[in-house]
Amino acid sequence: MSHNQLNTLIRMANQIADNNHHYPFEQAVALVCNHLQKFWAKAMKMQIIAYYHNDGSELNPVVTAAIKQLDEHYQTKSTRNAQQSIT
Amino acid sequence: MKINYFNPNKDYGTPARLSENLVTLEIDGVEVTVPEGTSVMRAAALADINIPKLCASDNLESFGSCRLCAVEIEGRRGMPASCTTPVDAGMKVTTQNGKLAKLRRNIMELYISDHPLDCLTCPANGNCELQDMAGAVGLREVRYGFEGKNHLDSEKDHSNPYFSFDPSKCIVCSRCVRACEEVQGTFALTIDGRGFDSKVSPSQNEGFMGSECVSCGACVQACPTSTLMEKSVIEMGQPEHSVVTTCAYCGVGCSFKAEMKGDQVVRMVPYKGGDANHGHSCVKGRFAFGYATHKDRITSPMIRNAINEPWQQVSWDEAIDFAANRLKQIQQQYGKDSIGGITSSRCTNEEAYLVQKLVRTAFGNNNTDTCARVCHSPTGYGLKMTLGESAGTQDFDSVMKSDVIIVIGANPTDAHPVFGSLMRRRLRQGAKLIVVDPRHIDLLKTPHLKEAHHLALRPGSNVALINSIAHVIITEGLENNKFITTRCDKDSYQAWRNFIIESSNAPEQAEVITGVSAQAIREAARTFANANNGAIYYGLGVTEHSQGSTMVMGIANLAMITGNIGREGVGVNPLRGQNNVQGSCDMGSFPHELPGYQHVSDPIARTRFEKIWGVTLDDEPGFRIPNMFDSAIAGEFKGLYVQGEDIAQSDPDTQHVEQALRSLDCLIVQDLFLNETAKFAHVLLPGSSFLEKNGTFTNAERRINRVRKVMAPIAGKEDWEITVALSNALGYPMHYNHPSEIMDEIASLTPTFTGVNYDRLEQLGSIQWPCNEQHPSGMPTMHVDDFPIGKGRFSITEYVASDERTNGRFPLYLTTGRILSQYNVGAQTRRTENQLWHDEDLLEIHPHDAEVRGIKENDWLGITSRAGQTVLRARISDRMLPGVVYTTFHHPESGANVITTDNSDWATNCPEYKVTAVQVERVSQPSEWQKNFTNFNQLQLQLLQSSSDMLNSQTEIE
Repeated sequence: MSHNQLNTLIRMANQIADNNHHYPFEQAVALVCNHLQKFWAKAMKMQIIAYYHNDGSELNPVVTAAIKQLDEHYQTKSTRNAQQSIT
Repeated sequence: MKINYFNPNKDYGTPARLSENLVTLEIDGVEVTVPEGTSVMRAAALADINIPKLCASDNLESFGSCRLCAVEIEGRRGMPASCTTPVDAGMKVTTQNGKLAKLRRNIMELYISDHPLDCLTCPANGNCELQDMAGAVGLREVRYGFEGKNHLDSEKDHSNPYFSFDPSKCIVCSRCVRACEEVQGTFALTIDGRGFDSKVSPSQNEGFMGSECVSCGACVQACPTSTLMEKSVIEMGQPEHSVVTTCAYCGVGCSFKAEMKGDQVVRMVPYKGGDANHGHSCVKGRFAFGYATHKDRITSPMIRNAINEPWQQVSWDEAIDFAANRLKQIQQQYGKDSIGGITSSRCTNEEAYLVQKLVRTAFGNNNTDTCARVCHSPTGYGLKMTLGESAGTQDFDSVMKSDVIIVIGANPTDAHPVFGSLMRRRLRQGAKLIVVDPRHIDLLKTPHLKEAHHLALRPGSNVALINSIAHVIITEGLENNKFITTRCDKDSYQAWRNFIIESSNAPEQAEVITGVSAQAIREAARTFANANNGAIYYGLGVTEHSQGSTMVMGIANLAMITGNIGREGVGVNPLRGQNNVQGSCDMGSFPHELPGYQHVSDPIARTRFEKIWGVTLDDEPGFRIPNMFDSAIAGEFKGLYVQGEDIAQSDPDTQHVEQALRSLDCLIVQDLFLNETAKFAHVLLPGSSFLEKNGTFTNAERRINRVRKVMAPIAGKEDWEITVALSNALGYPMHYNHPSEIMDEIASLTPTFTGVNYDRLEQLGSIQWPCNEQHPSGMPTMHVDDFPIGKGRFSITEYVASDERTNGRFPLYLTTGRILSQYNVGAQTRRTENQLWHDEDLLEIHPHDAEVRGIKENDWLGITSRAGQTVLRARISDRMLPGVVYTTFHHPESGANVITTDNSDWATNCPEYKVTAVQVERVSQPSEWQKNFTNFNQLQLQLLQSSSDMLNSQTEIE
């Protein structure tokens, strides 16, 4: 049984999407993104975002779209923080 | 005199009656006003006119057998028993005159003529109702002598480890028999024989231990003589003072009087003033407290550099400095997020609060989690999403107004026995029962149970079942439209309605998945929907699944469509496993929530905490327990502080957990014993039992109850003091002189706790949160007018099959559970006489599955899953469905969690303990894991022993 951290994260993310499968795609994406945002540790989020950029092949389409949103959220946050630190 | 005062330490003779109609009568010239239906005896007792009695007790219905309570009533013939005579308006009662005195003396004389006159050496001396009554009636002589036939040589029964039965002292008042029936609901005792031969008999004239008796202690408490007597009292004598406190076992949270001799507990007596238990108890709370002074208690702090080294006993300062330095070094080397902490559902609210505060402040991250992760985290998630609050909606007494009770994945008579007894009382009164469980639980065997449905579903199919019940209710038009329209969110309801009426949710489809017939589902659904008051109770058989959170939301959906929220007799009621699961969750133990379920990303909440705590808080959630393990194995998570929790035994996939614990550079365990986790530790901080500290527990009904110290901490510190010391050593000073100050801080930061403080708890006895300006005395029933989120929110609960499925290689499902006599990982109960009932975990297997495998009772069985193998002895039992096997997890060497997998709930990572695909076969030796366990255990015990030896030799040299 694999306990590779990344495999576990991929499995967890896909499981979240499976359990929100009945919602329309956009709503499911928002729900998955919100779930990851609210309940996952930052290190876990960064790890799966990195996987999304490097490979992402094992991610469910809903998860892929959700992680894209999550990534954008952190990029915006990072830009905002950078601007705040300049000003 | 209108009576409102209730003294829980007084016996009023018969139970209270609730009525809006008040009746005024005169007793011995005193005018008394009481509710209609009250007995004359109780009315008199309320006016402090105490009529002699022997067979009456206010937790039992009146019986009228001893006749000692006879009175005279103006205009009525004879001398009626005051216990069986209800009050009447204008009634004039005389309780004392010459005629009554003579009658009572004659009765007492007859009793005493067949009772040993050994009062001076009797264990009940000083606390004997028979002796008191002899005094009260003025008995001065017994004219009949002992020459005639008597019971004085009756044989004693010492078979029960906690109490003895001496029939020579029995007056056959039937209080024990009635307590077993009315209070406990087991019906294990009877009066055997007639007339002079009448005697109390456990089951069919068996010894107590061999009978159906469950050792709840109700009979012992009811006995007015020393016939049924605690062995501890026989040994130690009568206690000299008592302290009211709260049991540290299950989530019922019973109140007890710890009856003491100095700092020694003589006995624990259930406290009638306790609002959770009303004077009842179970074998654990009542008798299994000996672990607190067991020889295995760790009494000195200890440290070591590596887990294969002997422990060194050191001072508190040395141990705390060692721990703090190691944690600091780890953070320097691996970063701020490389350490974390786990709070305990067995410790107090104040202790859980301090551990999570330590993590968020001194550690500087949100890597805090609690053992509720592995039990009721889906409850927190599911109820918050739907009803807006992560807690059950009722108090326990609410069940007495339920007409239909659904019990899903819970076994209250074993795991929540005192509440199980209350539920049984309601079932005897005629409430209908629907049990959703793969096992035939004892609740289904309740004597005098009327209508019962058992939906014996396959493990892992809960969501399909709950959806099909909802489908029937909606498609047959049985929903409560008024409640839905006024109390629930319109859009989410419509979306859910469209989903639930789909044919995939019909009972015929569910039958394929669950194995429960469509007809049985339809009948259960109609029964529930048509109830005036329908209540849902559930346990870990709901939460510990890959869809645990979905199922909790399905339960909330069901309660909302039937309008079963917001009044007594209804509601959604999670039965919490450990004493303070609710409290540990309330106290912000989860990595994503500050105390009071305030999300760490909420800037307003965070700012309030930052202001009081004086630090900047991380706005991102931290690691959950399984994430900590994964990160430890990956070499990134290096330090863990575990308070009062045995993750090595209780968490799933043991070999994975052990690998994670071995990967840590610093594991700090704070516990009563060298538990399984402590064997992997570098710092061992001796904890204090519930008898050794002050604080509060919050039970399953949100009731905050005081825990009061009755003896000094064996190792010198209460648990909260240890956390304070560690925090101070880490450079984050904490200044508390008493847990009440910690509660004051909690109240200042938690909106649902603003009215809670120790003075108020003293005044009210207990408080059910929310307790604030709107609800200054707390709130027994939640969501009466609205939900914290305004309208109730429906969640779509699509059934998704677990990844854990049976196949040719693993053809059976294993599910796990608890037994009455043992508690959780057994660290406490295994160190008591409760071992006599359950000294090993067994594998229950259906006769059919046993036969095809050639398995006989007591055979050694290898149980193999995708995660591992263990070996247990067989018990052939038809309590499960064919294809399902069952075991408990109370003994570490059983390795029940060696077989459970790392599958978990999609929303919370609560492990899927209840569904493991396994194969079972006869074997002749322990599993490899068990052999390794034995060796490692022996090594760790030697390393512990060597610390004592070292200390002793040093002392000799000095």
